[in-house]
Amino acid sequence: MTETDIYLIQGLRKQSPKAQQQALDRYGGFVFAQVARLIPGVENAEEVYQDVFVKVFRNIGMYDEGKSSLKTWISRIAYNESITFLRHKSQPVIYYEDRNGEAEKLSDTEVDETFGQPSAETVQLIRAAMKHLPPDERAIITMFYYEEMSLKEIAYVTESIPTTVASKLSRTRKKLYKIIKMLQS
Amino acid sequence: MKEEKLNTLRQQDVALREALRLDEAELTQMPADLNARVMKQMAQEPRKSRIRQLWPWLAAACVAGFIAVLVTPPKDQTPTVALQTPSPTMKTPSPTIKTPSPTLPLNGKGEVSPEASKVEETMVAKKETKEVAQRTPSAKKVRNNQKKQTTPTSQDTEVYNDLAEVQENEVFTPLPSGEGQGGGSAGAVVTLTERDIPITRPENYKYTPEELALLKKQANEAYLKWVELELEIAKHNLGQTAQQ
Repeated sequence: MTETDIYLIQGLRKQSPKAQQQALDRYGGFVFAQVARLIPGVENAEEVYQDVFVKVFRNIGMYDEGKSSLKTWISRIAYNESITFLRHKSQPVIYYEDRNGEAEKLSDTEVDETFGQPSAETVQLIRAAMKHLPPDERAIITMFYYEEMSLKEIAYVTESIPTTVASKLSRTRKKLYKIIKMLQS
Repeated sequence: MKEEKLNTLRQQDVALREALRLDEAELTQMPADLNARVMKQMAQEPRKSRIRQLWPWLAAACVAGFIAVLVTPPKDQTPTVALQTPSPTMKTPSPTIKTPSPTLPLNGKGEVSPEASKVEETMVAKKETKEVAQRTPSAKKVRNNQKKQTTPTSQDTEVYNDLAEVQENEVFTPLPSGEGQGGGSAGAVVTLTERDIPITRPENYKYTPEELALLKKQANEAYLKWVELELEIAKHNLGQTAQQ
């Protein structure tokens, strides 16, 4: 943790408006992207974004530096707020569910080959398939591949354990491949 | 799956990463005034710490309530007992009234000046009026009747005799049996009996020792009669059996 972070956390604990503005400038974009990724509609995303930061500023006393970085802690709040919003306020959306466990039967080699091809067609197929994933699985994939968070950090954000996150990542990857195959056919 | 293997996959899955990057690029941009709105919301919303500051007051209120419950006497200790038996302070006139106060101004003959006696008298009258007003309406009615028939005593010159007379009238005058009787001073206090107190609380419905003795006696008699009746029934049944 840098010295700037320490000053920022101290300022937030004192409810300093300057520190709050600084936190918004530093983490605002990241939080908005995380929220907008999960929640459809800009207005909804804005509402959740505001709730996230109000919660961050109000509950900064509960933040423990020993457990995570400030960014991960904010990310955890953003994730929980988004999931809560989706459960209670959002319109229900149907996602692909692999109830028969067919994705698990797919070979790893086949999956690795597909995701390793940097062709435009595959990329488009992956983007289309991503829309059929449930929000929590999509969030895990994004956190791992795009934000390059470690399993421990993802586990902290999703209030889980690293092994569960690892198995969920593997399963989601195969599920994504299964959806691609369905879209191709 | 181990983390190392997953990290390797992260590097290998180029297409997946590219897809995510494109998705992120197409995400809606954050409105410029959103942070300003958050700051405005923060300024408008009441701070939670204020709510947290309430808990000591709540705790204090709870403690005060608990102490009040502890200190309050139980309902059995009613003030009617005190009213039924006149208190010693009522029977014996107060020494401050009968004996001249050392602080009272004296005239040349060593007697209390009339102005001072008037002051003391008015104080006594006020005190007594307050005391009677707190009691039952019947006592108030009696006192009003007494007021009408009483000649004013404030014009008397002998302060000590007058005060003593007033006190005696106040304390020892029995309760008049009918209206129009009695003759006390303006601030006369009537000793209240049980009949004057309206029974409004269930704990006042208590039997006297005589009534209790009578009840016991009646219960014993009833029991004896019941035993005799049982014996007669038994005899009758035996006779019936013998005849059969």
